[in-house]
Amino acid sequence: MIDIDLQRTHKNSLGDFSLDIKCMIEAPVVGLFGPSGAGKSTFLAMIAGLVKPDAGHLYLDDDCLFDSKRGIDMPIHQRRIGMVFQDSRLFPHLNVENNLKYGFKLLPEKSKRLGFKKIVTLLEIGHLLAQKPHQLSGGEKQRVALGRALLISPRMLLLDEPLASLDVRLKQQILPFLKRVKDDLNIPMVYVSHAIDEVLTLTSQVAIMEQGALLAYGKFSEIIHHERVLALAQTLGLENVLYAKILTQELGEAYLTALIGSQQLYIPFTPPSPHSILGNITVSIAASNIALSLNKVSGVTIQNQLACTVTAVEPVGNRVLVTVILEASTNHLIAEVTARSVQDLHIGIGSKLYCLIKTQSIYPLDRTLD
Amino acid sequence: MATDAIFTLSPTEVEALMLSIKVAVYCTLAICIPGVAVAWLLAKKSFIGKSFLDSLVHLPLVLPPVVPGFLLLLLLGSQGFIGKWLQHTFGISIAFTWVGAVIASAVMAFPLMVRSARLAISQVDRGLETAAQSLGAHPFKVFATVTLPLSMPGIITGLILAFSRSLGEFGATITFVGNIQGETRTLPLAIYTYTQIPGGDLAAMRLVVLSMLIALGALMMSDILERKATQRIGRGLKVEHD
Repeated sequence: MIDIDLQRTHKNSLGDFSLDIKCMIEAPVVGLFGPSGAGKSTFLAMIAGLVKPDAGHLYLDDDCLFDSKRGIDMPIHQRRIGMVFQDSRLFPHLNVENNLKYGFKLLPEKSKRLGFKKIVTLLEIGHLLAQKPHQLSGGEKQRVALGRALLISPRMLLLDEPLASLDVRLKQQILPFLKRVKDDLNIPMVYVSHAIDEVLTLTSQVAIMEQGALLAYGKFSEIIHHERVLALAQTLGLENVLYAKILTQELGEAYLTALIGSQQLYIPFTPPSPHSILGNITVSIAASNIALSLNKVSGVTIQNQLACTVTAVEPVGNRVLVTVILEASTNHLIAEVTARSVQDLHIGIGSKLYCLIKTQSIYPLDRTLD
Repeated sequence: MATDAIFTLSPTEVEALMLSIKVAVYCTLAICIPGVAVAWLLAKKSFIGKSFLDSLVHLPLVLPPVVPGFLLLLLLGSQGFIGKWLQHTFGISIAFTWVGAVIASAVMAFPLMVRSARLAISQVDRGLETAAQSLGAHPFKVFATVTLPLSMPGIITGLILAFSRSLGEFGATITFVGNIQGETRTLPLAIYTYTQIPGGDLAAMRLVVLSMLIALGALMMSDILERKATQRIGRGLKVEHD
């Protein structure tokens, strides 16, 4: 368990910036979201010991890392908090093996909980050991950086947008490794990200920061309905996330049918095992992949046509974000359309419309998490 | 006179050459550690009096060399503040010895060493040092295993610049330790001496060519070493553009 209560004020170009965060983290993995400038990186830096808080305390289980009242401020190199950065920060003058062993060698023998071989095998980096960092691809670099941090047998892992500089294909290659780390090693993680799908692959627990404070903390499905969180949804890159009840899953079919309220939704899905699955599913849909129509459309390949009512129309640049509530449910969706179509279709608050969503643009998130 | 005698160094010329190299080597060794330490202080730390230290270190670059030479004489000369004390306590006299020549050229070469090392140290990515700390390395360990190896090309350049500067030192040396054959008469002083005596032009010319060859060799060596060090730290192909 991590007990956090930290305050800090510093001057920057915009004036005083105050950070005040109190929370108890019990979940193994927490996703941390927030618009740029919310203080996410400063928050991580305070946990790691890179930045000194003005006041407060930080306890990791029973260990005190910082307590202003007791005058305790453990130096960074004694905290054993693993960090993985967006720019892998591998040492360019050392090969992969020596990068991995950098912290490992400094660790007292009795603190070594994770062996070198175990980590190398887990992350599948054995074939890279003799190479220099500049010879590695972006994805390999991040795996080595993750391995290096894991080899100090960290009490906690801080991941600061570790996948942000990778393309979608590489992200999909790294995520399973992060999942393995989470499932096999049982190390608490704080994961800063801009991509909700990335985070929901690992955890359902998220914290949202805004202007130096924690706006919400808890299960994503519960806090997303928080008014301020919804308002931030677009800037946070939180795409539409929908919760649906699985209705049927035909064996051999590449999709399943789910219910949202009383409406059906087709979701592309390949089951991990042959037996059929039941329960709830979480899916994400990008706002730009949702079209709006005044009527149900026939003679079109789009199968998902959900009845809805407009609750908000908000122009952003030359686009318009239209928020709708799906009929007979509490699920909100945001559709990104052009200003001209809003005008032509006379879309306003209260308009009854249909959301058209191509099945292929629906992205199923980890079913087991909800 | 045989033609090959034109190219043959006389024993006193050889003596000047060997003395020059000895002084330059000791000078380089002497400023190596303090140079890196001051460079690190200036590159990484902020403290009261930083700009004063910075200016002080650079002073020999902009002063006429005779000024530092004279100040050294005032301080370390046999009648000097520290010199007197050294003489009384340890029986050591620095003025008019080759050790004094080392001190004079160290003072003159120090800013070149610091400038080069400071630039190299300040260019080491702060993020790498942070990463090393988070992996459990004490700040000294971080310096030894990350900062130092990554700034090595710049430090080597600084050392070779200092070595070359020491070989060429004239003004501070002649003011502080004089021009004593076999003790303080390094190559530049020997050249100067030959130009002052009738018929010394040929000998002066030989030493001029020699000085140029040594300086050229040192600069080329600097380039090669820097290239190697840069490759070693894994920047590979970027060397050409650095």
